[in-house]
Amino acid sequence: MSGRDANRVRLLVDRMSDYIPHADELGICFAGVDGEKLTMRLPWREELVGNPTTGAVHGGAITVLMDQTLGIAGLCSEQVPPTITPTLDLRIDHLRVATTQSDIMATAWVYRATRKILFLEGIAWCDSPDEPIAKATGSFVVMQELDLEKLWQLVESGE
Amino acid sequence: MKLSDLIERSPDGEVLRLWLERIPYARFLGIEASITGGDVLFKLPAQPMLVGNPTLPAIHGGVVGAFLELAATFHLLAKMEQPVLPKTINFSLDYLRPTRVQDTFARCSVSRQGRSIANVAVAAYQDDPNTSTATARVHFLLADYD
Repeated sequence: MSGRDANRVRLLVDRMSDYIPHADELGICFAGVDGEKLTMRLPWREELVGNPTTGAVHGGAITVLMDQTLGIAGLCSEQVPPTITPTLDLRIDHLRVATTQSDIMATAWVYRATRKILFLEGIAWCDSPDEPIAKATGSFVVMQELDLEKLWQLVESGE
Repeated sequence: MKLSDLIERSPDGEVLRLWLERIPYARFLGIEASITGGDVLFKLPAQPMLVGNPTLPAIHGGVVGAFLELAATFHLLAKMEQPVLPKTINFSLDYLRPTRVQDTFARCSVSRQGRSIANVAVAAYQDDPNTSTATARVHFLLADYD
């Protein structure tokens, strides 16, 4: 991916993160793009802890990050026009306990795009993507009738 | 009282409240639980910060998933004869329709509980208990693992 395309993805991700109140609340942000692979970061905070003894983030917060990262990786993909891509289903395998008080990273990519459905997968990791803490597989619906330009127009006219 | 001590107590509304209070993430989402007719009912009160789609508007799909996973965990804990804190092995979630920005409820059923593994089915609904906005299936490990 060229530098210009990476910038385009970054702008799109930042715009979506501002637009989505829960992503904004959690501070989920762009962390990198490599070809079709998008990486986002969920900053650690006390409120996301699932196990008070270890301080590790709850699996539910990892579900939020995965849904967010797979969904955004779908709408950023060059294989489809930029449209809204609601989640149809999501499956998460918890592979390891998250590192204590660590930010969680998620990397996601499209492995098959059809006209109507996007198939994505991704991993969540703390210290290294070679040691994922979770793996996600999801399918997302391509809403051809809801392209992002129309969405931004709606958002702006509503404000 | 620690969670490990609390899970020894027979689950009534008060014990469920104390359990949820001890999990920072459950507190953050604002999850509540009550016991009605011998069944545990979980509630996710609507809050602006839980929104994922402000245009529809709808609750963030990830939040719905997190709510269902927490509900399944605490439901299982309440039903266990010898309670241990279940760990999620995996989680499979189907979104059936948008979860609107209003109070959401979850009801669970234990499909199978063996010695070390349990399978719990859970559904989220809003106005009508027969119309789910999302359904999920969770596998739990009932022992320590890496």
